[in-house]
Amino acid sequence: MTDISLAPPAPARLAGLTWRNVFALAGFLAALFVIPVVIDDDFIYHIFVTLFIFAALSTAWNIVGGFAGQLSLGHAIFYGIGAYVGIILMNMGISPWLGMFAGAAVAVVVAVAISYPCFRLRGPFFALATIAFLEVFRVLALHFRELTGGATGLMIPLKFGWEWMVFRERLPPLIIAFGMLLVCLAVAWWIRSHRIGFQLVATRERESAAKAAGVDTVKVRLIAVSVSAALTAMVGTFHAMYLTFIEPAAMFSLPFSIQIAMFALIGGIGTVFGPLLGAVLLVPISEVARGWLGAHALGLHGFVYGAVLILVVLFMPNGLMGLLSRLNKSSETSRQRQAQTITAAQAPSERPSLGDAIVKVESLEKHFGGLHVTNNVGFTLREGEILGLIGPNGAGKTTVFNMISGFLAPDSGSVSVRGADGTWHKPTTPADFAAIGVGRTFQIVQPFAAMTVEENIMVGAFHRFSDVHEAREVARETAHRMGLGPWLDAEARGLTIGGLKRLEMARVMAMKPRVLLLDEVMAGINQTDVRRAIDLTLSIRDSGVSIIAIEHVMQAVMSLSDRVIVLSSGQIIAQGKPQEVVRDPTVIEAYLGKEFVHAQA
Amino acid sequence: MDTILQLLANGLMLGGLFAIVAVGLTLIFGIVKVVNFAHGEFLMVGMYLTFLVTRMLGLHPFVAVIVVVPALFLIGALTQRLIIQPLMSARDDHIQIFATVGLSTALINLALLVFGADIANTPASGLRTPIEIGPVRVLSGQIAIFVASIALVIGLQLFLQNTAMGRAIRAVAQNRSAAQLMGINVDRIYILTFGIGAACVGVAAVLIAPLYPTSPTIGTYFVLTAFVVVVLGGLGSIPGAFVGSLVIGLIDSFAGFYIGSDMREVAVFGVFLLILILRPAGLFGKQLNLSHVSP
Repeated sequence: MTDISLAPPAPARLAGLTWRNVFALAGFLAALFVIPVVIDDDFIYHIFVTLFIFAALSTAWNIVGGFAGQLSLGHAIFYGIGAYVGIILMNMGISPWLGMFAGAAVAVVVAVAISYPCFRLRGPFFALATIAFLEVFRVLALHFRELTGGATGLMIPLKFGWEWMVFRERLPPLIIAFGMLLVCLAVAWWIRSHRIGFQLVATRERESAAKAAGVDTVKVRLIAVSVSAALTAMVGTFHAMYLTFIEPAAMFSLPFSIQIAMFALIGGIGTVFGPLLGAVLLVPISEVARGWLGAHALGLHGFVYGAVLILVVLFMPNGLMGLLSRLNKSSETSRQRQAQTITAAQAPSERPSLGDAIVKVESLEKHFGGLHVTNNVGFTLREGEILGLIGPNGAGKTTVFNMISGFLAPDSGSVSVRGADGTWHKPTTPADFAAIGVGRTFQIVQPFAAMTVEENIMVGAFHRFSDVHEAREVARETAHRMGLGPWLDAEARGLTIGGLKRLEMARVMAMKPRVLLLDEVMAGINQTDVRRAIDLTLSIRDSGVSIIAIEHVMQAVMSLSDRVIVLSSGQIIAQGKPQEVVRDPTVIEAYLGKEFVHAQA
Repeated sequence: MDTILQLLANGLMLGGLFAIVAVGLTLIFGIVKVVNFAHGEFLMVGMYLTFLVTRMLGLHPFVAVIVVVPALFLIGALTQRLIIQPLMSARDDHIQIFATVGLSTALINLALLVFGADIANTPASGLRTPIEIGPVRVLSGQIAIFVASIALVIGLQLFLQNTAMGRAIRAVAQNRSAAQLMGINVDRIYILTFGIGAACVGVAAVLIAPLYPTSPTIGTYFVLTAFVVVVLGGLGSIPGAFVGSLVIGLIDSFAGFYIGSDMREVAVFGVFLLILILRPAGLFGKQLNLSHVSP
């Protein structure tokens, strides 16, 4: 899985940037714009236009490469599409202001078409696929000469003025480039501070956990890639007007794609303003090297880029933003939160009596190769019931869980869930299950490591709320209830195993599930925590949630379960009240072997 | 008929070329589990070294093997030790991708700084002589590459199967922690493997330099196809990579003739994307390697 390391995410505070930071940012951006105007030199103007363009491209890239964690090294595809569509339309007499939207539209179509099949590829393979697509586009651009001019390239018709985005003066291009940068930054900031941003990061960190939390992982990634491609194409259109000449080798270029990604990495991948910082630092160096040293230093700036990239990766993997936030943190006292006692042990409310069936599992079958892991498993769960699922290691408990939460398709058999409206549904995907109110935890905890505890729980809360403030409220409330209050701002990766197990539960509770599947939430935690977890589970049940729990901790099984199902070698070998089941000879035999039963007899 | 035979011969020769470049890449990928984006630049460095040795000492290019192979072994070993090893525990593979991409960028531009953008021609030394075999004509240098690629594949396979070192390397590839518990120095194995992988591309460089003009970006030209071959052949499988190379060589040769020489790459990359998306374990991947596919 991609556990990308990012700058300790500021996102929680992003929505409510402190005023000091807002002013600092506005001042920084204003300075970037004013410097070339004040110096008033052709070359300086050129450097800053180039800088804005690269910063904008890199910011757009970061929406896919950073937030979504899909390392695209083919982003020049969209840039090139924007450039070509813009110029081809301009030759037909259409203003690039319209052309850039046409380019964006084409780029979105292409982006969705090539990303959709590639999303199942991870890490280097996704990167390789994007490189391959880039090569294909370059060759196609060379091949279709009538349209693209082939290797000789395309010149823009010399029509000047705002209407045509081509100018004799120096200031207008600077204004447009700066405007595009602001648009890209605003879009990136908006995404990062809203629901979709959280969902993207969650998907990047742990895809399966994100799915379980009801995130439509494919959809959010496609949105991210579409937005990123559209922005990239629009910047491409403008850059083509600025360059006045385009050719396939320059437009669909791998080094260019790498550069865009590199600025983001150096500035701080996955942060909103990192790409801008990276570009501000590196673009002037390269332009100066190119402009002043000229042919003497052919390759010098590229060499510096490569070397800086290696050094950053080795010594500063969180980029400049990581460095900045570390400085920020040491000067600022971290928010203190009061530890609140968990409210699980509050006055025991009257337990509602068991209702009708809410989940029906019928004759599930599953084979893994020659292994029959699930053999005719069927049971029902009643509303408000806690059903214990026990069995020796390898009995197939988690496989059953995976089939009743949509992560694994059964070979045959069915799972039906009664919806809130009383009708029965047959969900099949994790998203279906989440939508109908089935939440699950994972035996091996799956925190979104780079997110804070609060953000982790928010991802669950976003299942019900699209508003960040509401989700945050719910997350805080849930965290306090689960005894995670003191750690709201801590990164999930810093929690103890007991904390992580509670975080798993908190995340799913924030979804307000009607059916809860708990996969060994008490394994490997200490006695106090077990006691707590039992109380917590009971209070969840009393709030009207029906629960199926896989558990090895017998103390928990005995005190929680209304009914226990024993699974062995994929079959149900016993079920009934916990006290009866543990005395059942078949169960003892399954756990301890035949000899033990004989010895007792 | 003669045309088809000639295309077949061209395809096989090209396949041998791709194979000899890809063998080291697939070895590194299979054992160290790192996709070395700088592999093509290792090839480029090797070709420049071959050029320098032949030009300055006036020796036959093949003699350059004595210099180029150890030099590339060293470069590979250093890359692993200094760049990859500190990142082995990185929680995400983006970091490793960027590291080798950075190395690739740095090497290309270093070559540009040192040698300029002009191409460097290694003397042909009789390797560009056409040889007629029945109705087909191939270059003697191409035959040398083809034979060498087979020898390299067999040699590596024997080394991995039959020597203690080879067994240690395979053990590390199977399970790093278990190998460590058995007393294998995993870090050293990785360094060695990276070195061997780079040395293989050194052999390729010596053979390719007399046939192709050397330029700073020559590596990119070959390595993209090498990636295709590695994926096609079942990631990390050396015989698979060889068969994959022949397949891609043939596709390249026939597509170049029947579709148009400028569209060859579209055919090759088209096949690559199909394989990547439909059969990510590769055509010849024995066991399903789904480590790169999401659960």
